[in-house]
Amino acid sequence: MRLVVAEDLYLLREGMVRLIEAYGHQVVATAATGPETLEALRRWRPDVSVIDVRMPPNQSDEGLRAALAARAEMPGLPVLILSQHVEQLYARELLSDGSGGVGYLLKESVFDADQFIGALERVADGGTAMDPAVIAKLLSSSSPSRGLERLTEREHAVLALMAEGLSNQAIGRRLFLSDSAISKYTTSMFGKLGIVDDEDTNRRVRAVLAYLNKP
Amino acid sequence: MRQLGIWAERVGVGFVRSCVVAVVTMLAPAVWAVAVAWAIWWGPGNPWSWLGPFVLVCVGTLALSRPVCRLARSLVARWTGTLIVAGYREAGPVVRMSTGYWWNGFSYERSRRDAVLDQKWRVRWKDPAVWRDVRFTGIVPFAAGVVASVPPAGIVAAVLGLGRPGPDARLAGVLGLAVAIATAPYAWRLLVPVAVRFLRPSRAMAMTERVEELTAQRADTTVAQAAEIRRIERDLHDGAQARLVMLGLALATAEKLMETDPDQAKALMREARGGAAASLAELRELVKGISPPVLNERGLVDAVRALALDIPLDVAVSADAGLRLDPPIEAAVYFGVAELLTNAVKHAQASRAGISLARDDAGLIVEVEDDGRGGANVRAGGGLAGLRRRLAVFDGTLEITSPPGGPTRVRMALPCDSL
Repeated sequence: MRLVVAEDLYLLREGMVRLIEAYGHQVVATAATGPETLEALRRWRPDVSVIDVRMPPNQSDEGLRAALAARAEMPGLPVLILSQHVEQLYARELLSDGSGGVGYLLKESVFDADQFIGALERVADGGTAMDPAVIAKLLSSSSPSRGLERLTEREHAVLALMAEGLSNQAIGRRLFLSDSAISKYTTSMFGKLGIVDDEDTNRRVRAVLAYLNKP
Repeated sequence: MRQLGIWAERVGVGFVRSCVVAVVTMLAPAVWAVAVAWAIWWGPGNPWSWLGPFVLVCVGTLALSRPVCRLARSLVARWTGTLIVAGYREAGPVVRMSTGYWWNGFSYERSRRDAVLDQKWRVRWKDPAVWRDVRFTGIVPFAAGVVASVPPAGIVAAVLGLGRPGPDARLAGVLGLAVAIATAPYAWRLLVPVAVRFLRPSRAMAMTERVEELTAQRADTTVAQAAEIRRIERDLHDGAQARLVMLGLALATAEKLMETDPDQAKALMREARGGAAASLAELRELVKGISPPVLNERGLVDAVRALALDIPLDVAVSADAGLRLDPPIEAAVYFGVAELLTNAVKHAQASRAGISLARDDAGLIVEVEDDGRGGANVRAGGGLAGLRRRLAVFDGTLEITSPPGGPTRVRMALPCDSL
């Protein structure tokens, strides 16, 4: 994969480049400010990019703005936002166009390199990668009228992992369940939530998130 | 017909008010009149003739000044809604020292009664508000009392004139009645400007009070800030710092074990990774408590929206677009809203809440409303008292209406010209 890494702290940027290259991917450009990020995204159209929310010149949400602006120009451009903190507000903004290919993770998710690179690849494929903290908040703050209270504990766990962007196989591995058990759970869950399932992972995740996003 | 009724009511009310003003303001002149009569009765032959009346005037005016001024203030407040702050100096506490004597802020006294009495007189004597009252009592009979006496005097003239035979007396009576009716709605009104002019605390006194208020606020702020810094220091010391030391220890051990026991080294490194993630989470919470990231990145409105998303309530946020304020004010409002929403969840057991942020000519108005069970009140040392103090730093105010059974409405108002 060809990547752009946008992060203003030198040590972190270099560390991330090293990690990504250790997994055999290519970093085509790095950026340290919001405008630089937008410029690099326009020029390279990377398969996926890793972007920090807060960057110079204003030390506000320059990175997120650059990512949103780039996606407005180039719909579906895969971006993975990596931040010191996760905010539902930002996650909703990223998901709002519903076209997939977005991720929003805490910086410490790079600690588990395998999972981090997995998330990057998922986003590059047009899937989603959401931090469990965001998903937990999305699930807990959605009002009970949406049918969530009818889910069993297991179904809830499956939904949360699904919302993070994991495939059925991956969910099965995490919960120590067989694939067929997972598809049984997802089918009953979709029934309770009233979502039409078409066996497409990305659309499935987007459906879940869009459902949770409803005002 | 209706017009006539309104007019009659105005005359009636005005007449009653004029009579009240006349009575209140003429209390002191009545004492003076008694003194003059006394002096005349003793006659010029008595060398002490001036002394008795003089003492009577002084003591009478002094004693009457406070009740007269209290009445004048309450009348003005009641009739026109204009509040005139009395601003009397408060006496400090009287404490018993270990010697058994009593200290009242000025002197030691053998008994509590003496101490209180001594303090009372000292405070009275030095209080500029008392001398202001005396001045008002001396001025108001001429400035407002004379005019306020016109309607009752007219009625007296009417009663006397109409009760007597003869056309001249009749004419005087009718004239008196006409004057009484014509002046009644207006005669009492002079009391208001006179009271405002002479009873308001002087500029210097208002300034002194303001300085005292600001000094207290500064003390509050410094104490609160010091406590906050101590809390942050403690959190860092007990949390992230300790974890990082452990991380270093685990890595050092793993380095040593790498060759002899690779399995244990691997386990230690996994542990170290978990420790690093935990310390990051701790630091994140700490940062959020000091200054919420969304507040820095997006400003107040989006920060409140983000807060609303995080709270397990149905929260509706309405705000003026592009509302930006100075960072300290934004922080105060943000933490205020956070406190109120937390209360709504924790204490009021609300299910939905509404937040509105708007600016008007006076400044920023923030209203938070929930459908909880109400009964919120400001307790000393409680969260709401803390919130009020935080807002007071910016001259902001906090109003709470929270009847038992709900709903709770809280209104925060912050004056700001910088908008």
